Amino acid sequence: MPAFLARRILYALPILLGVSVVVFITIKLIPGDPVSTLLGPSATPAAKADLTARLGLNDPLPVQYLHWLWHALQGDLGTSLAMGQPALTLVTKAFGNTMVLLVTALVIATIGGVGFGLVLALRPKSLLARLVGGASLGAISIPQYTVAMLFLLLAVESKAFPVGGMHSTGATGVGDLASHLVLPAVAAALTPMGIVARMFSVAVGEVLAQDFVTNMRARGVRQPAIVRHAVHNALPALLTITGLQVGYLLGGVLFVETIFSWPGIGELVYQAISTRDMALIQAGVLLSAVLLVLVNVVVDTAHAAVDPRVRAA
Amino acid sequence: MSATGLDLPITGARKRRRPLRRRVAALPGSTLAGGTIVGVIVLGAVLAPVLSPDDPIVGSISQRLFDVGSAGHVLGTDGQGRDILSRLMWGARPTLIAGVLPVLIATLIGTTLGLVAALSGGWPRTAIMRTLDVLYAFPAILLAIAIGAALGPGVLNAIVSLAIVLIAPIARVAEGEVLRVRSADFIESARVSGARWSTISRRHVLPNIAPALTVYCTSLIGLSIVYAAGLSFLGLGVSPPTADWGSMLNDLRQSIYDRPVLSLIPAIAIFLASIGFNLLGDGLRRQLDVNEEVAS
Repeated sequence: MPAFLARRILYALPILLGVSVVVFITIKLIPGDPVSTLLGPSATPAAKADLTARLGLNDPLPVQYLHWLWHALQGDLGTSLAMGQPALTLVTKAFGNTMVLLVTALVIATIGGVGFGLVLALRPKSLLARLVGGASLGAISIPQYTVAMLFLLLAVESKAFPVGGMHSTGATGVGDLASHLVLPAVAAALTPMGIVARMFSVAVGEVLAQDFVTNMRARGVRQPAIVRHAVHNALPALLTITGLQVGYLLGGVLFVETIFSWPGIGELVYQAISTRDMALIQAGVLLSAVLLVLVNVVVDTAHAAVDPRVRAA
Repeated sequence: MSATGLDLPITGARKRRRPLRRRVAALPGSTLAGGTIVGVIVLGAVLAPVLSPDDPIVGSISQRLFDVGSAGHVLGTDGQGRDILSRLMWGARPTLIAGVLPVLIATLIGTTLGLVAALSGGWPRTAIMRTLDVLYAFPAILLAIAIGAALGPGVLNAIVSLAIVLIAPIARVAEGEVLRVRSADFIESARVSGARWSTISRRHVLPNIAPALTVYCTSLIGLSIVYAAGLSFLGLGVSPPTADWGSMLNDLRQSIYDRPVLSLIPAIAIFLASIGFNLLGDGLRRQLDVNEEVAS
């Protein structure tokens, strides 16, 4: 196992480097001369040349990149111009709130997806399975901001749920957090739930088609026991399927957070876009991508831990 | 011709095609529904100058936030007194363009990259596929936001950033398909007979990967529209006062307390477009008989 983990981390390192290169390139994509932007139109050529040299903009691109990377590795991702604070500080503060939302959505999506997936796999011809099948197709097609808007409307009309934010003013209790969390978490979870349901039903179906299941049926083993075997064998696949949803959710919570004013990375990035606060956007994107790479390492390692066939490969 | 005696009846001659009406009627209901939805949206977009009841840009302050079903404004008016139906029809244009064009561009580039990677093998393949792995490491919409925000707001920049995001998945599917075809006997015989790789890829590989790729890329259109509208929702699409569905959603959600139903209209329009294209893609998969694994 440690050998597998080491190999997997070794494979992730060049990807992480590549991610940093892409984020560095997006800085260079910004049109216009950063020096003129910083100094304003009335700057003298001498002042411009001085700042260009101080910012290292005369260096060749690879040198600029290494310089940027060196600072990034030390936690310096630039300063948010709109908020006057280091971008990384702002993003890490919002990161915890995003995780609360994301993990809750992931749990809802997995539990719901497994339940509906089992209905699809075990009773494919039943009326319930047809309903679930149709609903999951709808869930996959519906944009997360459409669901979020529907739920926000529900909150506004019913007055049963708070319409945004993470806590009521002055309140810090878990119950208060939960009531704020329900709608955004379910809104974010709907599409991943549909995907998990469909993929998990395929995984269970594949197990059910195997010879050992036929053998069990021939021996007269009862259905619940067969289902137990099928689910057990499909669990490693579920791990991968759920892992894939993290990437989807990292993108999707952006809209859900914006619509529900949830103080996470998504809301921060939305604010940053309207003020063209590039350092903040890049810090948010970089942190999300790094998190996704790490999640993939964890998922693959866990997969190898429960499935010896993967370890050998 | 008959003088040569060569006009023998050809057995298994091409069957007369069934009339279009019957062929359409034979399609599954879901495909028809998808086609109808997409057809209505495209027609609304194309015929906006003729059909739209009002000016999409200039509103009237005295007619702010009329509810759905008001006289003269079937879908109501927005916070600036502009007719929502008209904005929806005009807004379908940038929304569709920013959704469909990135898929076309990414298909062109992604297929080429996948083809080159799979046929060349060795270090070019490693270089191409590992570079794409890096793009894959980003959550798709976040990468589009990073690129789009750097380039600045605008439909063209949204198209560019979405196209870049879509290249990696398309190239992966293309590479997989080419590898599958590459080992076939007819490729081997073409190679033995001295055909060049450029000829082989054009005459033998591309036609064989085309159905699966077409289905896959069609299935991306729905997603691409959702992303395009999402970018515009975040302020990275058209600049005001031009309408597109994402920016309309962001506009109308500000008035959710006054006119809650209005804020749902663009959200539902985007959903319908997405499910319409998905149903069409599904129908295409059945018609071309492509196995579901490739398309998902």
